Amino acid sequence: MNGVLLYARSRALPVTLAALAGTTAFAVWAADRMDTYLDPHRKLPLVALAPLLAAAVIGGSLHTASDELDRTAVRPWWPRRQAQLLGLTALAAALLPLAVLGDTPGFGPPAMIRNLLGCTGITAAAAAVLGARLSWLPAFGYVTAVYLASGGVRGRAVTVWAWPMQPGHEAGAWAAAGGAFLLGTVLYVVRGARPEGPRG
Amino acid sequence: MSTIRVTGLHVRHRRTVALDTVDLALGRGVHGLLGPNGAGKTSLIRVLSTVARPSAGRVEILGEDVGDPRRCGPVRARLGYLPQEFGYYPGFTVSEFVAYVAWLKELPAADTPAAVARAVARVGLADRADAKVRTLSGGMIRRVGIAQAIVNDPDVLLLDEPTAGLDPEQRVEFRALLRELGATATVIVSTHLVEDVAAACTEVTLLDAGRVAYRGTPASLSALGERTGPDGMGDNPIERGYSAALRAHRTGAEALR
Repeated sequence: MNGVLLYARSRALPVTLAALAGTTAFAVWAADRMDTYLDPHRKLPLVALAPLLAAAVIGGSLHTASDELDRTAVRPWWPRRQAQLLGLTALAAALLPLAVLGDTPGFGPPAMIRNLLGCTGITAAAAAVLGARLSWLPAFGYVTAVYLASGGVRGRAVTVWAWPMQPGHEAGAWAAAGGAFLLGTVLYVVRGARPEGPRG
Repeated sequence: MSTIRVTGLHVRHRRTVALDTVDLALGRGVHGLLGPNGAGKTSLIRVLSTVARPSAGRVEILGEDVGDPRRCGPVRARLGYLPQEFGYYPGFTVSEFVAYVAWLKELPAADTPAAVARAVARVGLADRADAKVRTLSGGMIRRVGIAQAIVNDPDVLLLDEPTAGLDPEQRVEFRALLRELGATATVIVSTHLVEDVAAACTEVTLLDAGRVAYRGTPASLSALGERTGPDGMGDNPIERGYSAALRAHRTGAEALR
């Protein structure tokens, strides 16, 4: 009955790790089915959607069933929250680029990692503001909206607000996604997931 | 000697005043916290458990001012808390859940298995220690909640509606456990069941609309009920005393004792 293992199980980390592995496997499988794309080199759907799925999985693990009891813990929570969020993000950042290795100009590993950071940041912020169970929703809504709306739009601003659709070398997209990750991480680490249920 | 000292405690939930200038001093023993719905019982328990912060006032537990977050840690290690809804992890067994709380309380790892086994046995769940919590009945889950609250042998034990869902036999056993715990610790039990207070508590605090309406012993509350006679509201003296104390507080009457 190791305490750290119990903590990991309380946050459904075994299931989360399995889901992240499943997400990676799914992304690799989808990447190899080139005939599903109009352009055989087009990786944008993968680079936009796989990080979204991974962020949703990470968001689910931020849920705590015993928030009221957890708040009576002797040690402060922020180091554990930080370790959990950064650890899972690092793992996903190591796994997901496997799906876009090779000759994928613009939409290779850098874009995948950038989008993972952005989506995870939005999801972590949503966990702090809305609660972990709904944490996937804002990132899903934002990425879907940008995916549908950014096609054909030109200009400097689009590289920032449409960061999930930008090539990996766009500095503005990195700044936006990095800012979202920083903000979400700080919000979640400081406040934790918003309590759900009668006291939420 | 007081282990809990509350001075000028004020708690607001948005526009609602939950506790209004409450002063209390509580020492070793079992203290019953009575009052109608919305009286402020849960708000008081949550502040004492260090889960909620007061809007104003000072709360001292075991000699530490818990308004200072840096001083909460040592108090939490010596505190047990059963919230009204404590939540549990469906995949955990009874022992695992109690061990998880022991870990939150920083119990030494070497002592945890014995502490868990003892807490589980004290609530009569030794034969279900390896059962998943989700497979238990409502009353058993409540007992798991009590087990996690006592796993660290707390000096201050806060129980919010601990007997909800317990059958009569379990309630009688629980009262005996309360009396045992109250011999060495400060136990505060928030409840609607005045018969639990009569049977297990050494002192009674009655809250109404966020204020202390009455303080005394179960015997003094019963005596108040006796004075109102059989025409008072309630089926027994302590229920009549509860109703009379509330009525007196609401009409602003003084000197109940």
